[in-house]
Amino acid sequence: MNRFLTLLHKEITELMRNGKLIWLPIVLMIIGISQPLTSYYMPQILDMAGNLPEGASITIPTPTGEEVLSGAMSQYGTIGTLLFALATMNVIAQERQNGSITLVMVRPVNEWQYLGSKTVAQLALLLLSLILSYCLTWYYTNLLFTPVDWQVMLSSLVMYCFWVIFVVCVTIFVGTIIRQSSAIAGVSLLFLALISLLTSLLPKFMEWSPGNIRGEATKLLVEQQWTESAWTVIGSTATLSLLLFIAGVMVMKKYKRY
Amino acid sequence: MLVNIDNLSKQFKEKRAVSNLSFTIREGSCIALLGPNGAGKTTTLQMLARLLTPDSGAIQFKGYAEKDYRPLIGFLPQHPSFFNWMTGKEFLFFAGKLSSIPKKQLQARVQETLRFVSLEEAMNKKIGGFSGGMKQRLGLAQALLHKPKLLILDEPVSALDPKGRRDFLHLIEELKQDMTVLFSTHILHDAEQICDEVLILQDGCLKWKGSLPALRKEFDLLPIKVQTEEPMNGIIEQLEIIEDYEYIDAKTVKVRLPEYVHHNEFLQALINRNLSVTHFEIMQDSLEDAYMKVVRQ
Ligand SMILES: Nc1ncnc2c1ncn2[C@@H]1O[C@H](COP(=O)(O)OP(=O)(O)O)[C@@H](O)[C@H]1O
Ligand SMILES: [Mg+2]
Repeated sequence: MNRFLTLLHKEITELMRNGKLIWLPIVLMIIGISQPLTSYYMPQILDMAGNLPEGASITIPTPTGEEVLSGAMSQYGTIGTLLFALATMNVIAQERQNGSITLVMVRPVNEWQYLGSKTVAQLALLLLSLILSYCLTWYYTNLLFTPVDWQVMLSSLVMYCFWVIFVVCVTIFVGTIIRQSSAIAGVSLLFLALISLLTSLLPKFMEWSPGNIRGEATKLLVEQQWTESAWTVIGSTATLSLLLFIAGVMVMKKYKRY
Repeated sequence: MLVNIDNLSKQFKEKRAVSNLSFTIREGSCIALLGPNGAGKTTTLQMLARLLTPDSGAIQFKGYAEKDYRPLIGFLPQHPSFFNWMTGKEFLFFAGKLSSIPKKQLQARVQETLRFVSLEEAMNKKIGGFSGGMKQRLGLAQALLHKPKLLILDEPVSALDPKGRRDFLHLIEELKQDMTVLFSTHILHDAEQICDEVLILQDGCLKWKGSLPALRKEFDLLPIKVQTEEPMNGIIEQLEIIEDYEYIDAKTVKVRLPEYVHHNEFLQALINRNLSVTHFEIMQDSLEDAYMKVVRQ
């Protein structure tokens, strides 16, 4: 346990020193609040663009607060996921490439502690960013649109956190197999895209799929109640993430080469 | 005996990096693992440090029941690489905690180790700004921080300039009073300076093991070189005290004497035959020849 905490402390310090703990929340906050802001100013933006014939008017229905928040979710789902995978791809690859993993593994550290510290630190970073970003987005949404109940906001946030957990576990697992960081991000994103694609193509067979998380989170916003399918998706995502983590440790143990 | 290494092998795809390597490490000894580049030194040391799983073979520390003997070893990689954003001191604290050095002792131990490798002044600087020599010394510091029984150093001086090299060899010399040292090098001279024992590795196979004097004895062919004003043809051939000889030119010859003949006797014999000796040398670099012979055989 002490070794795990030492490693975790090192990971967190590293995140602070290299500035990731600053820029990742900021980027994610920008992604989040751009949704309520652009929705709000869209009519003006269109007006400024001009070019509409005299007398012609388009009416854009003003979205509800819930719709704006689910729009932000869909931003997290695309740009956000890309960002999560890119931020995570280096956690093992970098130490393998520059060789600093050697001086860690030459001490009585085991693979559980090593991978565990990486995963926990990465989750702390990304979840913190997501929470900050989403709360800020919620604040602006309430300001500019119909207010959304905080409990509704919170439950959709909790739901969405599981997508982040899944992305991190997938990327870290791929990182135990592949050494090149760009390939790690590529393979992970491909895998995540495939899951989402299969989920939309075969909804009947993929009820458990982590690809449903965004849909469930949106449902929580709009219908405002936890359904059984929400629990199914949470349960399966948590299980899959745990299995991926265990598999990652096994891969590291098997192909020991530091 | 401290460690017993039995039949260690490692294959990388088609390349057999280490094959059937067996040797023992005596407690308190200083052993050099000698061999040209690509001989398998790094692979061997990494397996000993449990950084690489051998395909077959066993490594057994005497009197240590647990399989994971990492607490007993300190390891300096060939190209040590740190976390550049840490300071030297932070890194040693990090390493010390991973090795479970009790909190109360850690501070003192880090100071002591930093002093030993002369990094006290730089300890609060970022490692990213360290020179190669400083990184090597920090690497040594982390390797001996937890007072390991066996210190494993992979080509510790190969990347250093002559002064750094000399200083580093002095450090190792000092360390070998307290712990068992195993280090690799491709330079015989380094091994000769500080080691009592060598293992010569070539193409992953152990070619020779033993002390350096024994190596000299076994392979030393013609350690005496003599030069005279007159040609020696016909004279050397008649001398019964000579075991073997080789002419470099008519006036220069290299010879080997049997063990019971002192080299003065040979000199005397030359003078008795009215030869004027202009040069008489017991060659020291003959060890290099012996080494080359082992590697080429
Ligand atoms: N990771 C690896 N993959 C493939 N071949 C390797 C690897 N590491 C070492 N080798 C090969 O194994 C042999 C021994 O390498 P090494 O132990 O590094 O030699 P040395 O340290 O004596 O120079 C070399 O021929 C090298 O090319
Ligand atoms: Mg090497």
